Amino acid sequence: MTHAIRRAALATLLLAAPAHADVDAAITDHILPGFTEFSNAANALSDVAAEDCTAQAVAPAYQEAFDAWMGVSHLTFGPLEDQGRALAIAFWPDKRGMVRSTVARLVADQDAATATAEDFAEVSVAGRGLFALEYLLFDPDFAGYDAGSYSCELVQAVSADLARMAAETRADWSDYATTLQTAGEAGNTTYLTEKEAAQELFTALVSGLEWTADQRLGRPMGSFDRPRPERAEARRSGRSLRNVILSVEALEDLARHLANGPIPETEAAFATVLDLARELDDPVLAGVADPAGRLKVEILQQHIKTAKTYAAAEIGPQFGVAAGFNATDGD
Amino acid sequence: MTTRRTFLASLLASAAAPRLSWADAGGPTHLAAAREADGAYALFGLAADGADIFRIPLPGRGHAAAAHPTAPEAVAFARRPGTFALVIDCANGTVAHRLTAPEGRHFYGHGAFIEGGDILCTTENEIETGQGRIGLWSRRAGYRRIGELASGGIGPHEILALPGDRLVVANGGILTHPDRGRDKLNLDTMRPNLAYLDDSGPVELVELPEELHQNSIRHIATDGEVTGFAMQWQGDLSDPVPLLGLHRRGEAPVLASAGLVDQLAMQGYAGSIAMAGGRVGITSPRGGCLHLFDKAGNFQESLSRSDICGLAAAPAGLLATDGLGGILTVTDQGLTPTRKAPRAWDNHLVRIGA
Repeated sequence: MTHAIRRAALATLLLAAPAHADVDAAITDHILPGFTEFSNAANALSDVAAEDCTAQAVAPAYQEAFDAWMGVSHLTFGPLEDQGRALAIAFWPDKRGMVRSTVARLVADQDAATATAEDFAEVSVAGRGLFALEYLLFDPDFAGYDAGSYSCELVQAVSADLARMAAETRADWSDYATTLQTAGEAGNTTYLTEKEAAQELFTALVSGLEWTADQRLGRPMGSFDRPRPERAEARRSGRSLRNVILSVEALEDLARHLANGPIPETEAAFATVLDLARELDDPVLAGVADPAGRLKVEILQQHIKTAKTYAAAEIGPQFGVAAGFNATDGD
Repeated sequence: MTTRRTFLASLLASAAAPRLSWADAGGPTHLAAAREADGAYALFGLAADGADIFRIPLPGRGHAAAAHPTAPEAVAFARRPGTFALVIDCANGTVAHRLTAPEGRHFYGHGAFIEGGDILCTTENEIETGQGRIGLWSRRAGYRRIGELASGGIGPHEILALPGDRLVVANGGILTHPDRGRDKLNLDTMRPNLAYLDDSGPVELVELPEELHQNSIRHIATDGEVTGFAMQWQGDLSDPVPLLGLHRRGEAPVLASAGLVDQLAMQGYAGSIAMAGGRVGITSPRGGCLHLFDKAGNFQESLSRSDICGLAAAPAGLLATDGLGGILTVTDQGLTPTRKAPRAWDNHLVRIGA
């Protein structure tokens, strides 16, 4: 038997094996705890802001809420897709500067939308969530506000709105977990087969790695001739690299729970990525501005892509799924 | 140009061949290509409810198919930049003809029949100049190449027949070269258009505003009066640009968008477009959503389904396919799955007799 034939036979065996991705484990040990943590952190942020809405007082709770968001930001389907929550929580990338202009307009107009939660929920997604708050708390044009100012009130409104969305998302996940777990059963029109639920989580894993490589790192990298450090995610709050690390950690956690067999290459690739990222002493990825710094970020990016390739190769075949047939074709 | 020899050949062909109709192929209403569970590719004929009518193996991944208006014949195109297309006899499941792009040309993946099905029109790249061409092939002469027209732009993708044997072509504007695969060679200067052609070539070109010059016009649907075009944005992912245009001859196009959140969810990419029952739909497999508009361009709603792409008019409204094997109908209640096939449906769902 040649090598190729043996490999083909092995692939057939894998395909024929019972195709149970560990959707239950991913839900119970990754998704639900992640959303609970995010909801708790957003709630704590809102409480802190209600107590003292000055930038200095709110910043630590903001960082914790953003940390918790990174644990779930890759789960963009279902409750986060509903009502555009993912964008209302984190409006990025934002090449056109819509967050800045929306926040500036709210402040200049002293927009009365801050009066009630219902009114504020109607504000453009670019004026809500973590990135609107980031301008208010960290951008020198906004952050010098006094207690009792409109900006202070706006910080409270954005924080309360974030806490509301986080709580609603967590609550909706109780039902949505059932939707995933009953995939393929009569009456489930979201997931027509069991495999589709696995496919959804697998896609979240692969797309999440792609997003971190192409957007979180690729945007500031720009081109070799024209790096764009000003496009780094959450650089105002000094979180650009931290977001890369936390997102990769979250995706590794998802990979481990989702897999129903050993994934040695994937785990090794994740370990390399995290080692490289933790050694990269460049919190807002400003290093991309010079060739040596850019090279380090590019190497990190390549290793994230390698992790994606291994995850797709080791986990996909365990239950016979691949990344989107049409989504990746592009024509 | 008809020579004496081809005229005689066509006479002989029409005398010898019995006149078959789509009923002889089981009466499918739609065609779709797919990758099957074992990795093989095939073209399927489907009933209006999505049930399989026939399955014909394909040698590789297809893109779209062109259905003959009356005879049970489908032309299946290879993925771009393919150089072959297969004319498939859907009544007996055999390859009736193999079309090879002329030297220095490749196909772009779509085609359409005019003149009652006598002439097949194919979108092509003239590789040396990068100019778009519409190849003309005579069915009566055994799908012999009989001529070509300028497409009116670069990168012609989908082509449809309009009443009066006119054609409408989506010139995507993106220059590619087969040596560079699907690399996009002119993103800074690209300028897509929607072109109307008569038998002499382009007679009306519809362009986009300058700031949208990177919005590749790729797929089209028409009710004969309004032509809808679906676009793929080559600029920044965070730009909420319109992905649907609606055009009436002689007028400026109406560009249509959903609200900010829904628009961004499309990820700058519309993969298919169809019209039915006064509505226009565009799909984004990347965003996993279908957007519905009225024919004036007013956004109606967004419906979610992973890897949704194929979209076509059907007797009961719109019918959609996805890469997970689902066939879904668009009703007032939303997207209703009607079938689940063990295969990945490819980009396009083609209505027969449209």
